[in-house]
Amino acid sequence: MNTFDSLTIIALSALIHASFQLSVSMLTLLSSHTIGAKRSHARLLGLTNAFSAGVFAMTILILSAIALFVQIATSELDMTVLWIVTCGLLFGLGAAVWIFYYRREQGTALWLPRGMARYLSDRTKATKQTGEAFGLGISSVIAELLFIFAPILVASIVLIGLSPALQLFGIALYCFISLLPLLIVNGLIGSGHKISRIQQWREQNKSFLQFIAGGGLVVLGFYLYVDQVLTPTVMAAARSV
Amino acid sequence: MSTTRPLIDVVKRGGKRTSERFNPDKLHASVYAACLSVRSPEGMARTAADSVCTVVIDWCHAKPEVTSNDLRRVAAGHLERIHPEAAYLYKHHRLVL
Repeated sequence: MNTFDSLTIIALSALIHASFQLSVSMLTLLSSHTIGAKRSHARLLGLTNAFSAGVFAMTILILSAIALFVQIATSELDMTVLWIVTCGLLFGLGAAVWIFYYRREQGTALWLPRGMARYLSDRTKATKQTGEAFGLGISSVIAELLFIFAPILVASIVLIGLSPALQLFGIALYCFISLLPLLIVNGLIGSGHKISRIQQWREQNKSFLQFIAGGGLVVLGFYLYVDQVLTPTVMAAARSV
Repeated sequence: MSTTRPLIDVVKRGGKRTSERFNPDKLHASVYAACLSVRSPEGMARTAADSVCTVVIDWCHAKPEVTSNDLRRVAAGHLERIHPEAAYLYKHHRLVL
């Protein structure tokens, strides 16, 4: 895999990660309650920026930790086996996203168990300090780990094949792209846009976002299976004939 | 908010939590917050919340018991007519996550 292919796969993985919506939902809720409680615009910006910083910090930590773990594990593990497992994960999660990422009801209610969603919602409402908002950002990434694990794993496997300087660039690229929706919503809220308009847009386009996220996982899985599993196997068989 | 407090019990969502006495101030605060969340001016938010409370109190006046879902539905229905954007947030705030 050359450098361009590697960075493209990292970017595509980050785009898939960006299409998952829990952090954006929590940011919307946090902003809505902060404005509704008549807190100042500076306080609103402080909380939303701290939340985004929390998401950024946790994303970078998880990506780096998984990359390190993969680097250690691959010294004893066949890369082909690792790619087969990863592709299986991508196909499975792609189907899962299509089937149940959003609940079949009004609004943007996600797959989360209702008790957990209520807890996160209550914590979001109770958030008044920037430190709490930072922690909330961290917990939003952990809560969505079930779905973001696959794109992060793909990015990690690709990252360990790059040179150290490009690894840092790859991590920055992944974090920037995966945080893009959050940064856009953060910017819209900061510039005075109405939360109701943002939420209405998200609700109207939730099926499209769900299709893109699931489709992205399946397409990425198919490409990686052909490129990393099928092609080397066929080539090796052809050489042995 | 100056309203007479009717003695009405509110059955909470799903009937799992204990019932509580209907409190118009709580309804007023939630509608007021929803209006402020869509960046309405404070005066407009207060007027909308007063109007919604009046309609809800009239609606449940003769009832000994109502559900919190009914209160929410009636309040959202009236708010929809006077402030649709706030009504959208008011109705959907439990369906964001």
